[in-house]
Amino acid sequence: MHERRKSWPLFPPQCDSGWRPLADVFRTRDGWLLKFDLAGVGHDDVTVSIRGRLVTVAGQRRDAIVEEGFSHYSMEITYSRFERTIEMPCSLENARVAVEARDGFLLVRMVDEGKEEENA
Amino acid sequence: MASCWFVWWMKGKKKKMPETKDIQTLPLLPLKNTVLFPYLLMPLSVGRESSRAAVEAALGTEEKEIVVFAQRDPSVETPKLEDLYTVGTRAIIRKMNRSQNGALELLVLGMERVVLIRVDESEPFLRARVRPLPLPEDRSAEVEALQGALAELATTAISLAQPGSQQEVAKLLSTSNEDPLRLAFLLASMFSLDLEKEQSLLEADSRVEALRRMHTYLAHEVQVLELRNKIASEARNEMTKEQRDYLLRQQMRAIQQELGENGGEQAEAEQLRERLDKADLPEEIRKEADRELSRLEKLPSQAPDFHVIRTWLEYVLDLPWNVRTEDNLDIAHAREVLDEDHFNLKEVKERILEHLGVLRLNPNAKAPILCFVGPPGVGKTSLGQSIARALNRKFERMSLGGLHDEAELRGHRRTYIGAMPGRLIQAMRRAGANNAVLMLDEVDKIGHDFRGDPAHALLEILDPEQNKNFRDNYLDLPFDLSRVLFVCTANALDTVPRPLLDRMEILRLSGYSEEEKVQIARRFLIPRQLKEAGLSAEQCVLTDEALRKIISGYTREAGLRRLERAIGRVTRKIALRFAEGKTEPVTMTPEDVTEMLGPEPFTQEEMRRDVPPGVATGLAWTETGGDVLYIEATLLPDGKGLTLTGQLGEVMQESVKAAQSYIWAHAPDFGIDPKVFKHSGVHVHVPAGAIPKDGPSAGVTMATALTSLYTNLPARNDTAMTGEITLTGLVLPIGGVKEKVLAARRAGIKRVVLPKANQKDIRDVPEEARNEMEFIFAERIEDVLRALIPQLTERLKLVRNRPIDNAA
Repeated sequence: MHERRKSWPLFPPQCDSGWRPLADVFRTRDGWLLKFDLAGVGHDDVTVSIRGRLVTVAGQRRDAIVEEGFSHYSMEITYSRFERTIEMPCSLENARVAVEARDGFLLVRMVDEGKEEENA
Repeated sequence: MASCWFVWWMKGKKKKMPETKDIQTLPLLPLKNTVLFPYLLMPLSVGRESSRAAVEAALGTEEKEIVVFAQRDPSVETPKLEDLYTVGTRAIIRKMNRSQNGALELLVLGMERVVLIRVDESEPFLRARVRPLPLPEDRSAEVEALQGALAELATTAISLAQPGSQQEVAKLLSTSNEDPLRLAFLLASMFSLDLEKEQSLLEADSRVEALRRMHTYLAHEVQVLELRNKIASEARNEMTKEQRDYLLRQQMRAIQQELGENGGEQAEAEQLRERLDKADLPEEIRKEADRELSRLEKLPSQAPDFHVIRTWLEYVLDLPWNVRTEDNLDIAHAREVLDEDHFNLKEVKERILEHLGVLRLNPNAKAPILCFVGPPGVGKTSLGQSIARALNRKFERMSLGGLHDEAELRGHRRTYIGAMPGRLIQAMRRAGANNAVLMLDEVDKIGHDFRGDPAHALLEILDPEQNKNFRDNYLDLPFDLSRVLFVCTANALDTVPRPLLDRMEILRLSGYSEEEKVQIARRFLIPRQLKEAGLSAEQCVLTDEALRKIISGYTREAGLRRLERAIGRVTRKIALRFAEGKTEPVTMTPEDVTEMLGPEPFTQEEMRRDVPPGVATGLAWTETGGDVLYIEATLLPDGKGLTLTGQLGEVMQESVKAAQSYIWAHAPDFGIDPKVFKHSGVHVHVPAGAIPKDGPSAGVTMATALTSLYTNLPARNDTAMTGEITLTGLVLPIGGVKEKVLAARRAGIKRVVLPKANQKDIRDVPEEARNEMEFIFAERIEDVLRALIPQLTERLKLVRNRPIDNAA
């Protein structure tokens, strides 16, 4: 039976354009470090975009490790598209950005250009 | 793993992921009863073998993608192409778990609308070839307006469906701002629309159409919800009121228990129930009481009716419906008791003993309704008590004097606030036995006003035929009064309505003679007053002479109250002397009485010694006994007509005129000069002038006085007379013979003329008086005159023989 579970009374169904990876935000000496929990996401499948104060990480997690004869017994990891937007305290349009994957985390470093000039 | 990531970033522009792919082939999950909408996350439970296989196949891919199509008919187990709607949704399986029974629990996210092109049935599950079916970008003003309207309607619907969820709703609606379609889908899913409606929403080929459809569906939902809420709230109201009452009552009970007022109304009702069970009630009464009690049990004690019903029930329970005291039918004992309490009064005592005799032979005999008539103080009330004592019955007395409201006798209906049963039922309750002796005092003094005449209520009560089922307005139950021995008392019967009089057996207690008073004083009054004053019989001796002096000089009454008071004054004065140190016994003589009580307030109308012509001795009946009165007539040298003075009533005035007319008409026979009539007026006066007098019984006296006046022959002063006369000279009977004779005797007159018809009443006169006195019974006025004016005898013979009289 694939009856939809009754959601009445009004369990608001989630509206989503993708899942949201968890994130930590660090203040560094010269800028910011954003850490996203994005294990299993190939580098081709992720996009980092900055627009004003908003930093958006979007992409897709594919279940690459499936072979013939495997079958899911249960599935908790969410595959498919994800999207996460973090609002920063200041505009980072001019910042220098470096992206790195380490041990399942996606690290986004942002160095504020203005600050660097100040320091130098 | 230090590899270089390809990073591309843009400034000021969001990069859009490629969403819409071209034709794809994906596993197909048929869905029963519902539709998966794009943008929405939906939990699904997958049980069917083929469906499970489809899910497994989808999970085996990198993207975990699947297409979901709704089944047209939910009962089809293995749907084919034709069983499915052609528009469905491409979805991503987000989570999966296996439940105990092997079904797959999925969390599925709808991605986009697809149309079914072809189905591949070669595998154990269906594999569908689908093409995306995006909606045109029709973001017009109409869409915006529809979105606003829908959002508004949704707020209403949600607040109806789940009041208090406004915040959530606001949040929800804000997340669906981007695409109006999302709002429509969200609402459709929230309100669990029918499959057809959901599918038609999914199939809508423009946003305007989708929103319009959703608006229609939601409006319907709102209507349904409103109706449902109305029904629910009605049901809730009903229930909550009952629950509230119950809760409060429980709390009150708890409080009462805490206060030690154990039980409240429940206990009260139980108590009443217990009493009701024990009480010996007639069946009809029992039924009515049961009904009222069950009503009481349903009422809270605050209800105004509660107390009304409780009081009523208490009355019902207190009444002696079947309670009866055992009569003492020993006639000798009864006689003894009656004699002990009252002197003489033979007639009354005999009547009581008769009833006792009847009761002995027939225990169910109806009780007589007696009425004692007599002047005040002759012992009517105490006689009632003594009857009860003789019969060994309960005694209750109620005074009807001044009673003017019929409701006081028969009670008020229960609907009135403060309603009470009538005095009669109250008396029965006090008596506690339905064969009590009930004394209705002063029936002649019942008043009446616009509210009705209580005497008429008495008619029912005193009728042995009707009072078996006496209904009090308050009780509204028939109470049997037929065993009650009613004893009424009255001073005079003039004011008692005839129908009432008719129902009662009248027993007259006329005034006591001096001799009787002496006896009563000796037996009852003196011992009682001595006891009151704390004296012994030896300390104070009243001689007969002294007693007679008190009776005649200090009291003038038919009864004994003043006599008792006078004796009381004497004994108190003697007690004072003893208290001041006197030790020798006192013997009271008439002189001592004068000394103690002061000058005599009453002087007897003594027999007049020298009586001039025109004066005759009459006898009058008063409420306090009899009296001697002298009628004085005198000729006026001038003027004409008749002057009457002395507060004479109309009847008395008429009787004077009748007497005068008779004498005028027969003047020649009496040897009266007619000139006297023509030339002089007559004045008739009856002393004492301040006392009103009325009645016809002075007729013969008037005639005698006038005859004496006109003939100038004095009437005998040792003879008193009474009787009514007619215009033809007949003497008619009068009442109060005993009192009148005794009054004459008191005044020292030993000869009395009475109407012939009253000869039988002589028996009432105490024997000693009877023996002392001479009675002359007159049939006609001539007989009277013959006895009074001996000189007229010769002339009267002539009158007698006149033919005209015989003819009359």
